[in-house]
Amino acid sequence: MAKALSRQRYAQGARDTPVALSVNGRQYKLHLDARVTLLDALRDHMGLPGTKKGCDQGACGACTVHVNGRRVLSCLTLAAQCDGQEVTTIEGLATPDGPHPLQESFVRHDGFQCGFCTPGQIMSAVALMAEGRAGSDDDVREFMSGNLCRCGAYANIVAAVRDVASAGGADASL
Amino acid sequence: MLPFEYARASAVDEAVNLLAADTGASYLAGGTTQLDLMKDGVLAPERLVDITRLPLRGITRDGDGLHVAALTTMEELAADPTVVEHLPIVRQSLLLGASTQLRNMATIGGNLLQRARCRYFRDPTVPECNKREPGSGCAAVAHTARMHAILGVSERCIAVHASDLAVALVALDAVVHLQGRSGLRSVPLTQFYREAATSPDVENVLVHGELITGITIPFLPAMATSGYLKVRDRASYEFALASAGVALVTQDGTISQARVGLGGVGSKPWRSLEAEQVLTDAPATEETFREAAAAAVQGAWTVPGTAFKVELAQRTLVRALRNISGVAS
Amino acid sequence: MSLVDTAPVIGAGIDRVDGARKVAGAAAYPSDFNAQGQAYATLLQSTVGAGRIRTLDTTAAESAPGVLSVITHRNMSRLPDGPITALGASPPAPLQDERILHHGQHIAMVVAQTPQQAVAAARLIEVTYDADDPVTNLQDPRAERMDNPWGLDSERGAVADALDTVDVKVSATYTTPDNTNNPLGLFATLAVWEQDTLTVHDATQWPSMARATLAKVFDVPESAVRVLAPYVGGAFGNGLRVWPHVILTVLAARMTGRPVKLVLTRPQMFTSIGHRPSSIQHITIGAERSGELVAIDHRTTSSVAMEDDDYEPLAASSAVSYACPNVITRDSQVRLNIPNPTSMRAPAEGQGNFALESALDELAYALGIDPLELRLRNYAENHPGNGMPWSSKALRECYEVGAERFGWSRRDPAPRSMRDGDWLIGYGVAGVGYPWYAQPCNARATVNRDGSAIVRSAATDIGTGTYTVMTQVSADALGIPLDRVRFDLGDSDMPHSPQAGGSGLTGALATAVQDACGGVLQRVLDLVREDAESPLRGCGLGDVSVGNGRMHRRDRPEEGESYADILARHGQQELTADGTSTPADPSTLGMALAGAFGAKFVEVRVDADLGVIRVARVVSVIDGGRILNEKTARSQIIGGTVGGIGQALFEETVTDAGTGRIANGTFGDYLVPVNADVADMDVVFVGQPDRSTPLGTKGVGEIGLVGIAAATANAVYHATGTRIRSLPITLDHLL
Repeated sequence: MAKALSRQRYAQGARDTPVALSVNGRQYKLHLDARVTLLDALRDHMGLPGTKKGCDQGACGACTVHVNGRRVLSCLTLAAQCDGQEVTTIEGLATPDGPHPLQESFVRHDGFQCGFCTPGQIMSAVALMAEGRAGSDDDVREFMSGNLCRCGAYANIVAAVRDVASAGGADASL
Repeated sequence: MLPFEYARASAVDEAVNLLAADTGASYLAGGTTQLDLMKDGVLAPERLVDITRLPLRGITRDGDGLHVAALTTMEELAADPTVVEHLPIVRQSLLLGASTQLRNMATIGGNLLQRARCRYFRDPTVPECNKREPGSGCAAVAHTARMHAILGVSERCIAVHASDLAVALVALDAVVHLQGRSGLRSVPLTQFYREAATSPDVENVLVHGELITGITIPFLPAMATSGYLKVRDRASYEFALASAGVALVTQDGTISQARVGLGGVGSKPWRSLEAEQVLTDAPATEETFREAAAAAVQGAWTVPGTAFKVELAQRTLVRALRNISGVAS
Repeated sequence: MSLVDTAPVIGAGIDRVDGARKVAGAAAYPSDFNAQGQAYATLLQSTVGAGRIRTLDTTAAESAPGVLSVITHRNMSRLPDGPITALGASPPAPLQDERILHHGQHIAMVVAQTPQQAVAAARLIEVTYDADDPVTNLQDPRAERMDNPWGLDSERGAVADALDTVDVKVSATYTTPDNTNNPLGLFATLAVWEQDTLTVHDATQWPSMARATLAKVFDVPESAVRVLAPYVGGAFGNGLRVWPHVILTVLAARMTGRPVKLVLTRPQMFTSIGHRPSSIQHITIGAERSGELVAIDHRTTSSVAMEDDDYEPLAASSAVSYACPNVITRDSQVRLNIPNPTSMRAPAEGQGNFALESALDELAYALGIDPLELRLRNYAENHPGNGMPWSSKALRECYEVGAERFGWSRRDPAPRSMRDGDWLIGYGVAGVGYPWYAQPCNARATVNRDGSAIVRSAATDIGTGTYTVMTQVSADALGIPLDRVRFDLGDSDMPHSPQAGGSGLTGALATAVQDACGGVLQRVLDLVREDAESPLRGCGLGDVSVGNGRMHRRDRPEEGESYADILARHGQQELTADGTSTPADPSTLGMALAGAFGAKFVEVRVDADLGVIRVARVVSVIDGGRILNEKTARSQIIGGTVGGIGQALFEETVTDAGTGRIANGTFGDYLVPVNADVADMDVVFVGQPDRSTPLGTKGVGEIGLVGIAAATANAVYHATGTRIRSLPITLDHLL
């Protein structure tokens, strides 16, 4: 495939596309190279670097955000695909009243070490609870397995989620 | 990725026509395969037609079975009450695959069309890949193979079809519905795929521009038990080393109907009529299961790295059958 | 059971001070930084494992949209090598000639206006090679071999004679594969030149060293270089050296006159920043019927790059782990066409311990003695080499507490004797002694007019909790409430600090911080020495106590005053003092300097048919000396344990012979443990403060990982009757 492409194809310039989306309740109107992923759009074009790039290949979960209320990987989503949709990132979790209960619980239970995977873990955990999957340690472990943590904070992540879930926060979505 | 033009279709006809007119165009659904391969440099379409806004959603049922529109996500299908109650093999195959994030993105149509995970295929700097460049050889055969196939393969290509759902669906005789430039057609899923042994570079019967619009999953008989077992190194979030999607109808200790699909071991989702033949009208015992498993791996072609799968596939199938039939070890 | 001494702030499991920021996504990692007008770099890498570049055509790339520069060995400046650091030589300078030493070697850098343009342009570079057959196998006769590379080979007694006369002997070969550190945070560098000053954001574990290196390589004074790493997305050893991609990014910024940002891809994280090398280890252990060890012979071969060094003395700890009169340890390295190995969490110990503790287990079964009992029978009360008492060693307690918590006594000694349905159950144990390590360190403490304090050092917090622990140490030393103390790090402009590595930072830095804080207290006392208004006039350090932002007399505690009052009265905006720590000197102390010790107990479950292996639970009992924060210390142990599970069951970086290409260089193919792989982990700290430092702490950053692989292999043997002597232990070996 690679050899078959002409030099000209390689030397083509970017094709831009309009993208209008809502992120954390705020409207953005952008004109982006069609190749820009939602992840790169958030980080490089919308001033929201809280969502992290751990692999850019859909294998680590660090880039997890919510699109229309569901947790997805922003590195395998084009920004253009999110035209007209609602995106929530880690920066949009806290309210004027304070941090999300899960954010507090992560701090209390030390559910992180270096903190790089943490935004993705928390976004995943918020969705996990809304999905009704925080009812047991085993459920939390299984349904959080799409978020890698090389520092190995898993046990504390599970404790943090279960703490909020058993405190009746199971309905505590956004 | 190389530059491309992004377009969005709002009607199926429109999408099909856009592609039919342009050999350099590709569909974009969930993106979990398409964008991944574009980033790797394996695919470089000049135009992407986003089909995610097409009216291809919804799950309905009738006497024939469950009709699932192609843009249904894996999570949506797994949560469907009918699937939960009547098709454990489907539900388990879905929930054991990928991660929740990926299952929220991946569509049923896209899942069936996912491409090989082989790291030689996915790295264009590796010259030997018959799937990318027919005739260039197979680096996996020459080098490291562990997550590769043993059925439907040859020295030309040993890439595995990694979909768990597709294994369950071929076992159930699902039918895939297509719409293309020349109209509509339906193809049994068991006839939809091509084996890597014969054509590594052509994976299925789709012609350019043909779109999967939905699938029909026939129901199992009411007394059937079914399930999906996936064996892998880590406890979650990994493709199968070997898997089995099975269904049995048993009366008075004798199997009257059997369905067997194997995953992690086939260059296509592997329906094993050979195993089903052994199982049908046989007593539901471990001995029968082992005999069926031996039949299932007849004709396996291995390289040193995949040789263990011949034994693992058999034991996985036996365990899957034991699990749904309550036969103890 | 003895508990570690705690003071109110030291030891308490307070929440991380950087926690609120991290859970809000507000901590800035190297890839989060941007500079006005920055350009983006990408790397092109060799696709052959050895040989030379024959032709290289960059013309199409240079004229591709948005491209500012294409750097290759043809237009690359001659750069001097980086300096020798406390860890050894710097990696060789990049792009110096056309030779290829490993697959994935950087052969070009493209700089463009956008990242997408850079990546697309790099595909336009045309390269051909004269490829040689790469040397990739540890046993390849072509590989250049170096014996005793660091002069650490040891010998005591007469091993060969002893082995001739022992009752029982176990001899085996153990192998460990390449592993890759793979922190979640993609390594990134942002280089900004302004005139002749350089500012670099980088994923480094050692800003002071990075500054010195860049100054030397680019021939500018150190004062003109600033390296910043306030947060690092994990490192595990990758950030201990200034790697070629960092040099190239800085060079690109100088050449283009623009700030340049490079973020490595995940596959590049396998070939650009070091990894744990593979090993073949031969070990023979001889013992009397009673279980008393008579001789240990441990010889290893590890891989190293063609033109670089890596400190990995795998066998060295075997000389000091047990009371054994006759011991030989020999380490060798062979040069291969592989990316440059370098430290990965618990370097050398992770590999060497697997062999030693597996062999001991095999000996236990050969003798018919309980594996735990065998270790206790050969317990080294004093340093087995020189007979000196350890500065602290509570390993016996580790074993005893661990055995009780784990339920070791429930173990049926016969292999394959414990079962739960389809699951075979096995128990395994391993002992660990981590080497002592310390480097000199500086810190600076400031008390402000308002009574708050800032303490700083050029250290890094790679997830270890340095921000938090040093805030505690400072608050305790100054007597200022925690929420009024800030600890800053990650800036080479701050006082010199050693690396976050070797489990040595906490001890060195805490001592330097205490020293600096003590210095500030002295300055306070100096200020009020003649002050008629101060109840503290004429006091020395020994006459006062501190707390709540105040200093008061020991003999009359009601008499004292706040720092704020003192500074205000004397018209001072702040008081600052520098502090330092130097490593303990074993010769003057008369003790053997000890690192942390640990006992690891692992229960595995193995599916009798499918071979699937699961670690069901782990008990880790650690002697870490004084524990400064029980929450973050526990996290270090559970994190290390997860790394150990990865080493034991999942992790193997596979290099193809013939091409030298890494076959599984992604997170989807290289398997690290996921959440569902990790079940019950019990962590307990025992022991006393270590006697060799004022604070008595011993680093616990790496010991969590060591011993897990051996305990797991031992448990697998107990469960199945199959002894696996190579890692990772996968189901295909158990079918």
